[in-house]
Amino acid sequence: MLSLTSEIRTPFHAVPAGAKLAALAVLSVATFSISAPALMLLPLTGTALLYLCGGLRFARAGLRALRPLWPFLALLAIWHGLSRDLGNGALLGGRLLSTVALANLVTMTTRLEDMIAMMSRILAPLAWLGVRPGRIAFAIGLVLRLTPVLLDRGRQLSMSWRARARRRRPGWQIVLPLCLSALDDADHIAEAVRARGGIPD
Amino acid sequence: MRTSGPSSIAIDALRCRLGEREVICGIDLLLQDRRIGILGRNGSGKSTLARAMAGLIDPASGRVTIDGADIARDRRAALAKVGILFQNPEHQIIFPTVLEEVRFGLEQMGHPKPEAARRARAALKRFGRGDWGGRSTAALSQGQKHLLCLISLLAMEPAVLILDEPFSGLDIPTERALRRVLASYPGTLVQITHDPQVVAGYERVLWIEAGGLRADGPPGQVIPDYLAEMTAEGADAFADL
Repeated sequence: MLSLTSEIRTPFHAVPAGAKLAALAVLSVATFSISAPALMLLPLTGTALLYLCGGLRFARAGLRALRPLWPFLALLAIWHGLSRDLGNGALLGGRLLSTVALANLVTMTTRLEDMIAMMSRILAPLAWLGVRPGRIAFAIGLVLRLTPVLLDRGRQLSMSWRARARRRRPGWQIVLPLCLSALDDADHIAEAVRARGGIPD
Repeated sequence: MRTSGPSSIAIDALRCRLGEREVICGIDLLLQDRRIGILGRNGSGKSTLARAMAGLIDPASGRVTIDGADIARDRRAALAKVGILFQNPEHQIIFPTVLEEVRFGLEQMGHPKPEAARRARAALKRFGRGDWGGRSTAALSQGQKHLLCLISLLAMEPAVLILDEPFSGLDIPTERALRRVLASYPGTLVQITHDPQVVAGYERVLWIEAGGLRADGPPGQVIPDYLAEMTAEGADAFADL
């Protein structure tokens, strides 16, 4: 879930990325070892409290970032409701919700650069196999830079569809131009990278 | 900045192809002025010439050297010699945050990371944008994106700066502000444009037509001919788009 670093400063922004990732790993394992549905309230309220440390506005942004999760939670509720196993459903849902929320918290309070620097350190041993960690870090940066551009291009195309079509919802016809414009963007970015010295190792 | 005299851009028998089409068909030039305008209509090959001068495309034959360095082959030398500002900042910004964007070119020039970051911050501060470092590049306004692209290039202090119609679509005050920044640039400026007004105060103007050099001289000599021809054609503009 691509929620970028929050502009709202929280105490967690000052914590080093490595420490946050390690804590995330420990807490996730701990959450997965909980077997009683009632105990699931513990990580859930804990996570909520952590968000609240950043203030109400920050917590609300965190809640918004969880929106893509609701369909999955609804699916779990329906399935386990039908199979009369709501306890297990609550357990699974709680796990999903608290671990994703915690992971989002780390994403929202860690600068991308620190995250990538951390990744490069973890991947550094791969250099023995001929993988160049610098390139992986560069690629991550590109994905994060271009995802909003691509979304925007999609919005533009559906807008120009709407401007000249009777049906408001754009059809499958915009898929091809979207792909072509993505390839075109890739050419332009390649040129920009070359203009400033090529892909770093 | 370190540039003392104007740079020397030498273009020898340059031919460039885009697919099957020959876009630049044999240009020879020696440019030693500080402010050079390249005029031409859409599709005349002026943008391709700019890309060849920046070493971004490999010519079919011939070559471009700046102060003796072959800029298509020797990319490391090219970084200090030439920078290019693209028409659309969206095509130039590579990174998700401002500091990374400005720092990238400096790292590529061989500065160690902390030094590159220090220079990048100094460059941002020089333009009164010291607080931009952590900002997301996607969230900048159009004018701010243009400025970021310009700062990223100026931080590298290239001897030659090529501008490929960079400020089209900006409002008047924003464009004026950016032009003021450029006016104080001590190195060589090569401005690609279809609008003669932009290069009226320059030292030398080249008129590119159909991939070749149509005219070359001071603006007072080249611009009136260019304008006369563009206006004459305007009556039947769609005949040859």
